[in-house]
Amino acid sequence: MRFRAKIVDLACLNHFSRVINTIAKLAKTCTLRLTVSKLYFILSDKVANGGVSMWCELCQGNFFDEFQMEGVAAEHNEIYLELVPENLSRALKTAQSAKAVKIKLTNKHCPCLRVAVELPSLSSSSRIVTHDIPVGVIPRRLWNDFREPRVPDFDVSIYLPVLKTMKSVVERMKNLSNSIVIEANLSGEMNLKIETDLVSVATHFKDLGNPPWASEDGCQSSDQGRDLESMAEARIDIKKLQQLLAGQQVNPTKALCNIVSKRVVHFILLHEDVSLQYFIPALA
Amino acid sequence: LECILHSFLFLLVFGRALHAIARISDEFWFDPIEKGLALRSVNSSRSAYAYVFFSSMFFQHYCWTAVSQPCQKEKQLSLPCKLIIKSVLPVFRCVNVLERNVEKCSIYTNINDHHITFQLLCKHGVVKTYNLTFQECDPLQAVFAKHMCPNILKVHSRLLADIMIHFPSSQEEVTLSVTPVKVCFKSYTEEDTDFSKTMLTEIQLNPDEFDYFQVGVDSEVTFCLKELRGLLAFSEATSVPVSIHFDVSGKPIAFSIEDTVLEASFILATLSDIEKETASQQPPCFSQRQERPQGNRNAPNTESAKPASPLAKQEIKSVPRVTKKDLTGMEGTAMTEAEHRAMLEEEATESQIISPQTLCHMQFLTSINIAFLQFHSLFFGAVSCKEKDATSHTFHSLATASDTEEDFGNMQSSQV
Repeated sequence: MRFRAKIVDLACLNHFSRVINTIAKLAKTCTLRLTVSKLYFILSDKVANGGVSMWCELCQGNFFDEFQMEGVAAEHNEIYLELVPENLSRALKTAQSAKAVKIKLTNKHCPCLRVAVELPSLSSSSRIVTHDIPVGVIPRRLWNDFREPRVPDFDVSIYLPVLKTMKSVVERMKNLSNSIVIEANLSGEMNLKIETDLVSVATHFKDLGNPPWASEDGCQSSDQGRDLESMAEARIDIKKLQQLLAGQQVNPTKALCNIVSKRVVHFILLHEDVSLQYFIPALA
Repeated sequence: LECILHSFLFLLVFGRALHAIARISDEFWFDPIEKGLALRSVNSSRSAYAYVFFSSMFFQHYCWTAVSQPCQKEKQLSLPCKLIIKSVLPVFRCVNVLERNVEKCSIYTNINDHHITFQLLCKHGVVKTYNLTFQECDPLQAVFAKHMCPNILKVHSRLLADIMIHFPSSQEEVTLSVTPVKVCFKSYTEEDTDFSKTMLTEIQLNPDEFDYFQVGVDSEVTFCLKELRGLLAFSEATSVPVSIHFDVSGKPIAFSIEDTVLEASFILATLSDIEKETASQQPPCFSQRQERPQGNRNAPNTESAKPASPLAKQEIKSVPRVTKKDLTGMEGTAMTEAEHRAMLEEEATESQIISPQTLCHMQFLTSINIAFLQFHSLFFGAVSCKEKDATSHTFHSLATASDTEEDFGNMQSSQV
């Protein structure tokens, strides 16, 4: 099992750091899956996470100048590692002016991702900062736990409002309630509602647009025949929603959510070279 | 004795000094003397000592008088006192904002009331007055023969800050490893560190990056980074380069800065290699008198380790049992592993403070009545354009802030 990668371009480095920072805000521990062409940050829906799950996919070619990987076996040319993304985020934080960043899988005292940052210095030789981030190697028999989640059979799919606006609305609501209701319909309308003994607050968004999904049999949409005005809703933990919105460091090209009434809300955030899916289950 | 000098003060520098000292301990010694104002602090486990000295030139106005009681024979007496840091820090809390809003800051004390007053004259006629009580006590002097250290590095504070920033703010201990051709700062690890849970950071530098680089003996010293961070912020404010003096592991490491108007030293104990030390340790002894309770002024202190002669160089070895988690009571478990040894010798460079008279009187303080000191200092917060108005401002504030008429009169006559 071997892995080495190198980033030389500062813009790529910053972009990669931002992705890591977003992941770090969403998960304390997660799984990093390495394949020849992609990196995945995966959080599977364990009870410990509150049922939340995450799937983030990056094309390595968009970030790394060099990328070499050898998986556990020839026919399973992948590596699954468990790590604390905050550590990676911290290692990259002070690399903003780096000449190069190299990441390598090593095993000195224990399996580690070694991040070596080469920084410019006043002297002839560069300053080298090395961070050893401990990782856990996940054995092949557990790989099934980390499969890509299927898009659920949703009732409504709708584009999200401007994330910055949504974030500030949710942040204020967070002070008043522990849970929030997201409801939306196929007419591009979405409401965010909270209700407590003392107060109820609702924010209404309209003209958001509904993304077209091609269903398996090629028909117009899987929820054909659904009343356009009818709202699908789910009550979710407001902190989880706030975490998702607050963690976004870059505006996505596309942001949408799929609501399965009273079951789960599936968020999809697409950037040019990164896609992030986040599932928040509905509260009982 | 009085001395009056005009200069610029950087409130920021003073505030940062206090913040740096705050990282060492909750209380500090406030020790005004003729030549300037000294601030000292030592942490509870005696493994870190901070000393900052502002010469009288640092202040826009500095007046120190000693008023002795009739029974005193000494004329020059300084009375250091102890203040709680938490009481003083709010005065200098947001130092950046302070410089914009505060036009003048004056510090004066009246021993009779056991109060030290910090008064900030701010914009728009706002006056903030902080009256702080203090405890009288004898000064603590940790002295350290810097010139005897085989390893000396000198570097701009910016570089040191750029190095330390790579360590997480929760990183407690850091190891500095030097050979004549290589310098490296790394996270401290010990034999039973759980590597699977700890992220380790290491920074390698070229000796070229240092303004001065002298390595007499290859060494690896481990010290507490948390205690140092305050000094880094302080030295950045002063833009004075930082000198690092150290020896082999177990001997203290000193980080110091020095320029014409101020000097500061942070002396930290370093981890020694695990040796077969017996559990019974020598009781720590310092060149310090025990702190006296306020009401008990006349009782002589029998426990103090008085130097044989004021100016003799004394080697006082102390073997305190130190753990970084002292406060949480982990001393028992850390007994042999984290034994810190701080060797305290009289500091040659502190000679301007340890004047013969001062030392003499320190010896006597234990057995005679308290000397009363009237101390009066003013310093100017905002700089530059106000300088021309300094004189008039000084008199004006003297009139309102002065404790006695005599001071006022004296100062006026010696104005330049």
